[in-house]
Amino acid sequence: MPSNRLHRALIVSHKPVGRGYYRLVLKAPEAARSALPGQFVMLRVSDTLDPLLARPFGISAVISRSSLEILYRVVGKGTTMLTTAKAGQSLSLLGPLGKGFPRPEKKTVPVLVAGGSGFPPLHFLAQRAGSRTHLFLGARNKECLPPADIVRSFKELADKVHIATDDGSAGQQGTSTDILDAFLTKTERREHLVLYACGPHAMLAAVSKIAAEHAIPCYVSMEERMACGLGACMGCSVPMKAGGYKRACKEGPVFDSREIDWSEQVLLKLKR
Amino acid sequence: MRKTKDNKSAIRKETRPDRIGKSAIESPDLSIDFAGIKLKNPVLTASGTFGYGEEFAEFVDLNKLGGVIVKGISLKPIKGNPPPRIWETPSGMLNAIGLENPGVDVFLNEKMPYLRKYDTAVFVNMFGYSLEEYVGVAERLDGAQGISGIEVNISCPNVKAGGMAFGTDLRATFELLSAVRKATRLPLIAKLSPNVTDVTAFARAAADAGCDGLSLINTLLGMAIDVRCRKPRLANCTGGLSGPAIRPVAVRMVWQAARSVSLPIIGMGGIVTGEDAMEFLLAGASAVAVGTANFINPRATLDVLDGIEGFMREQKIADLREIIGKVDAG
Ligand SMILES: Cc1cc2nc3c(=O)[nH]c(=O)nc-3n(C[C@H](O)[C@H](O)[C@H](O)COP(=O)(O)OP(=O)(O)OC[C@H]3O[C@@H](n4cnc5c(N)ncnc54)[C@H](O)[C@@H]3O)c2cc1C
Ligand SMILES: Cc1cc2nc3c(=O)[nH]c(=O)nc-3n(C[C@H](O)[C@H](O)[C@H](O)COP(=O)(O)O)c2cc1C
Ligand code: FES
Repeated sequence: MPSNRLHRALIVSHKPVGRGYYRLVLKAPEAARSALPGQFVMLRVSDTLDPLLARPFGISAVISRSSLEILYRVVGKGTTMLTTAKAGQSLSLLGPLGKGFPRPEKKTVPVLVAGGSGFPPLHFLAQRAGSRTHLFLGARNKECLPPADIVRSFKELADKVHIATDDGSAGQQGTSTDILDAFLTKTERREHLVLYACGPHAMLAAVSKIAAEHAIPCYVSMEERMACGLGACMGCSVPMKAGGYKRACKEGPVFDSREIDWSEQVLLKLKR
Repeated sequence: MRKTKDNKSAIRKETRPDRIGKSAIESPDLSIDFAGIKLKNPVLTASGTFGYGEEFAEFVDLNKLGGVIVKGISLKPIKGNPPPRIWETPSGMLNAIGLENPGVDVFLNEKMPYLRKYDTAVFVNMFGYSLEEYVGVAERLDGAQGISGIEVNISCPNVKAGGMAFGTDLRATFELLSAVRKATRLPLIAKLSPNVTDVTAFARAAADAGCDGLSLINTLLGMAIDVRCRKPRLANCTGGLSGPAIRPVAVRMVWQAARSVSLPIIGMGGIVTGEDAMEFLLAGASAVAVGTANFINPRATLDVLDGIEGFMREQKIADLREIIGKVDAG
């Protein structure tokens, strides 16, 4: 029963793309064929035992139906080691994993909201969601935005890209949630709008609140620490309003924002 | 399902010339009798790292395993600790899951029927917050079908009330295991805490209480700190260390316990390869459990099994009994 979710994926290309990000293209035909926007993979950055665990990465695109694209930011030990992997080598890859974003319906106007390094899964969604899409990008300053090539790609895929930076160095001054709120307030026909968000928890909590105020459905992708990616370790728990936890790797990473207990989520972050 | 690595190796195995005229050494005997339980081979899954089997069935034919030890079960459902629950450390990880589980009734009704479909031994890991809860779970498991044995966790470092509180006190260990012993006829395996000065005293207490086997080790109590925020990395502050980082400690404890009691031992702690498993067998374990390695390679159990078999063939060992406890310690 060799599983078709465990792969040795050949590195097709691997290059820095600016602003601290790398673009990694991995050949994994079975994974590429079944991948859905919002799903992720667990990638081992080397075959040694340190770092031990695989790293979770969203799928940012499917390329020529046989390869997966990953866009990652170098933040620590694992991602630093990953930068040394060369085209022609192969890496152990598990996926696609988790439940993706619910597929936008024909009439849906998808409104994507990305914060920090949360844009990769939304890029894949933009590829599949059609040209009515709006994208909101927020960052501290211009240098913290996604790489310029990615922003350009988003502009080609979407109807409109709205940008905000805290210091006003690109787009409007403010946060992505400020400009999202303003956009929703002035939009008259809201019945087909659906929000899809990925980014830091505080931003997701804010987007979720705005969605509730405007009575718009909202799906958030929760990036938790993960060990197995398969629902076995119970490490990736997300607090639920109904009580208890759900696993980001199995029941998520995408959740209906109304399900999540944001008070506990935000409280925990504030404590840290 | 094209030419995956697995397919290729499966084909290769069937046509291997050395498998044709099967002498004892070319196909070594991996089966063992563990406390009266027949196991196909000595490779089990460590509790809490393999879910309830189902999570890994896509990667591992459960029929090929010596047995499955399931995630810890309690009398009532347990919500678990707030996140973050895990943190990676050099060649290891800290976890403070807090024994989240759906409770014994849901386990028996929803998880056990799935496991019963397989021809593999099922060991149910269980715990409680009081002696009465331990006894309650044991009583319920006693009547259930398809369970080969109970692994009693007296060593979880992540719950304040029960778990390790029992496993680090000799008298409490003896009293608890004696009470559980009375509650079930199933083979009882005591999972000992490594967070004690002298593990052999606890091994003897388990033997005196009437246990049929030992499991060791559970995770080592640890802590990691985010030096910039000056906060613990885990919401629970402390957690259990597992993975290759703890293997030398685990091998040492198995060796000590094996020399002090005659109970069979399931050895675990950082096993990733067949050779890792051989260390435990030589130290005196009769079986091994693969834990954290399942997270980095969902097929780790089968890789360990292949590794053991390959090692036996290479060393011309026909039967596992030629290895168990046979470290030459002078
Ligand atoms: C479902 C999911 C999808 C993700 N998609 C992407 C993506 O498309 N692109 C991308 O750049 N990153 C993504 N991440 C985050 C990525 O997994 C982490 O940045 C990575 O694991 C860090 O590894 P490291 O060894 O370099 O960092 P470490 O040395 O382990 O840690 C460095 C810093 O990264 C943070 N971090 C570590 N692991 C995680 C994690 N699992 N989730 C969030 N933060 C973490 C730590 O809090 C720490 O501050 C995703 C995470 C999840 C759970
Ligand atoms: C995430 C996680 C959850 C665990 N849950 C349990 C549990 O419920 N009951 C138990 O007795 N041991 C539990 N353990 C301990 C393992 O079964 C094993 O004893 C330990 O991890 C050492 O083996 P390893 O280094 O191969 O992982 C858990 C370990 C991990 C990493
Ligand atoms: S990462 Fe292990 S359960 Fe989600």
